[in-house]
Amino acid sequence: MHISEGILAAPVLIGGGLLTAAGTAVGLRCIDTERIMSVAMLSAAFFVAALIHVPIGPGSIHLILNGLLGMILGWAAFPAILTALLLQAVLFQYGGIVVLGVNTLLQALPAVLCYYVLRPWLVRGGRHQKIAGFLGGFLSVFVSSVLMALSLALTDEGFVQTAKIVVGANIPIMIIEGFITMFAVSFIVKVQPEILVWKSNGHGGVL
Amino acid sequence: MIPEYFSYTDSFLHKADPRMKIVSAACVTGVVAFSRSYSTGICGLILALFLIALSRFDTGVVVRRLLAVNFFTAFLWLTLPLTYGGEALTLGFVTVSRQGIAMAALVTLKANCIVLIFLALVSTSPVSSLGHALRKLGVPEKLCLLFLFSYRYVIVIAQEFQRLLRAAKIRGFIPRTNIHTYRTYAYLFAMTLVKSWNRAHRVQQAMVLRGFNGRFYSMYIQHPTAVERVFFGGITLLAVGMALLELRG
Amino acid sequence: MEKEQAVVAIQNVSFTYPGREYPVLDAMNFSLGKGKVGLIGPNGSGKTTFFHIIMGLLTPGEGKVLFKGSIVQGEKGFQDLRKSVGLLFQDADDQLFSPTVLEDVAFGPLNLGASPEEARKTAQETLKNLGLRDLEMRVTHRLSGGEKKLVSLATILSMQPELLLLDEPTNNLDQETRLRLIDILNGLDLSYAIISHDWDFLEKTTREVYVIEKGRITQCEKASLHEHHHAHVYGDHPHHHGD
Repeated sequence: MHISEGILAAPVLIGGGLLTAAGTAVGLRCIDTERIMSVAMLSAAFFVAALIHVPIGPGSIHLILNGLLGMILGWAAFPAILTALLLQAVLFQYGGIVVLGVNTLLQALPAVLCYYVLRPWLVRGGRHQKIAGFLGGFLSVFVSSVLMALSLALTDEGFVQTAKIVVGANIPIMIIEGFITMFAVSFIVKVQPEILVWKSNGHGGVL
Repeated sequence: MIPEYFSYTDSFLHKADPRMKIVSAACVTGVVAFSRSYSTGICGLILALFLIALSRFDTGVVVRRLLAVNFFTAFLWLTLPLTYGGEALTLGFVTVSRQGIAMAALVTLKANCIVLIFLALVSTSPVSSLGHALRKLGVPEKLCLLFLFSYRYVIVIAQEFQRLLRAAKIRGFIPRTNIHTYRTYAYLFAMTLVKSWNRAHRVQQAMVLRGFNGRFYSMYIQHPTAVERVFFGGITLLAVGMALLELRG
Repeated sequence: MEKEQAVVAIQNVSFTYPGREYPVLDAMNFSLGKGKVGLIGPNGSGKTTFFHIIMGLLTPGEGKVLFKGSIVQGEKGFQDLRKSVGLLFQDADDQLFSPTVLEDVAFGPLNLGASPEEARKTAQETLKNLGLRDLEMRVTHRLSGGEKKLVSLATILSMQPELLLLDEPTNNLDQETRLRLIDILNGLDLSYAIISHDWDFLEKTTREVYVIEKGRITQCEKASLHEHHHAHVYGDHPHHHGD
């Protein structure tokens, strides 16, 4: 989910850029030398997720999975998502550098929210874990599309209707992401729980 | 899955110092992105077309990139004229907003212009030199390492996922719109994630064995030539000019 | 005559993976000094574990690692050891993490304190010695499997180790690269230990072969010092030839 270049107004672009810079600074502080590679690898996996298309009716949508990434990485999701989006920009020109800040914020902020709100539930297992998994997918896309709508609406009042359509159009994606995140979480917890269930080191910082 | 990027031709832009290219691209695309007038957009577009010509990209590649960008602008063309409000304009059966059309047109112009400039100035450098250039431009060391390492493993991970998907298909998996499909994709991706996690651990070990201490070294020391300084200085000045034009107009 | 000093040795090393009942290494003693040795053993017999303990990537439950006669202590001790001992991983993709070949080969020397210019020279020299000079500017992930393996060997050799540990170097290699690797190893004036299931490869590259099994290590008698001119139709198992 991202906004193309050329749409947003200067204050929105600058605001988004500053917030992303702050989030990234916090995230980078959470990554020690031993964990750079893990974060880079997850960032690459996140990049690959965006290339995976799953069918919906006659069409298809690509995966986002920022909620899953957030539950694993916490604040480190900011630099991880920034990295993946920068690579997308360089390799596919999905968005350029000016809108990079806003686009990172759209996906990374919900990811960090998932970390704080939903991650504690994962440890409890059973139904809690399933619900948290589903919400991790559903809510992260929901919050992303709300932030996207907000940046459009803040740019120009005439965009308000379009912004509402954006949120509405994303509802099927929220549901699919919900299920996929739920199943992925249950898989990881079974196969290699330490990815999702580790002792936090206290400062929201991960790994 | 991941397209072959750009055949590395020997154009002036491909060879130029990536630092200069990044800085001038940021200036020009920044001015275009912030502008709200057609004149700035058109100036930018002319510059973009000139740069694209100079980069000697395959036309097919450029067209494909533009199609991807205009997917989103097409969405705006479908919604803005009907929802923007303001002065009404009747075209046959439908009544559309004049400002809505104007806005969609402006956005389309800016979006295409920015993508073309980015393509010509940034995507003409290999990702590895971009990583080093970003470091030299003051981007934090850890972020540059993330960028380079992530790029290194994107293809490995994509191939890992493809292998799993192929294995599933060989066993009769046909993607459809149902829970079974979503569960399967979730498991395939989660398995890819687990493998990536474990690979990260092994690579980390390999790095420790070779004395990694978080430092970011660059092997490539490139200095911009006089021609490059003039050329990219010119582009940056042009950006300043466009910004002044925008502020006055 | 004094026995030549071992570069690395392990003393009474035992290692059990968490959740497993039996130790994978059981009070094992072994030393690697000058020479070229092979290690063979069934899957899961602890061969890779053995290498990882030497390098300090795993900490044994009991026992010690010795480097040039003295006990290696803590991460600092292993950092010194790693300057002299190189480990080639099974999967070359785990070893090559830099964007380009030259940067990857120069990575070790740079970390050892070489200046970029020195590191570049060392890297180029190493690549040249392995006949890989033309790969210098290539992007690592676009190399073929065989090229990746040879380049990862170069990344270790550029650190100028005294001893090389190679973990299954012929896995997934085509015949041509395999032969090239045999040539390279035979041409090295360097001690090494190779883990492999490829019996024929060990015959051509090592002087002695040891078997790791059930947590112990034993020399494989009469296994070495004869040439193989016949095909091994039934696989790579160690075997005796009645001569």
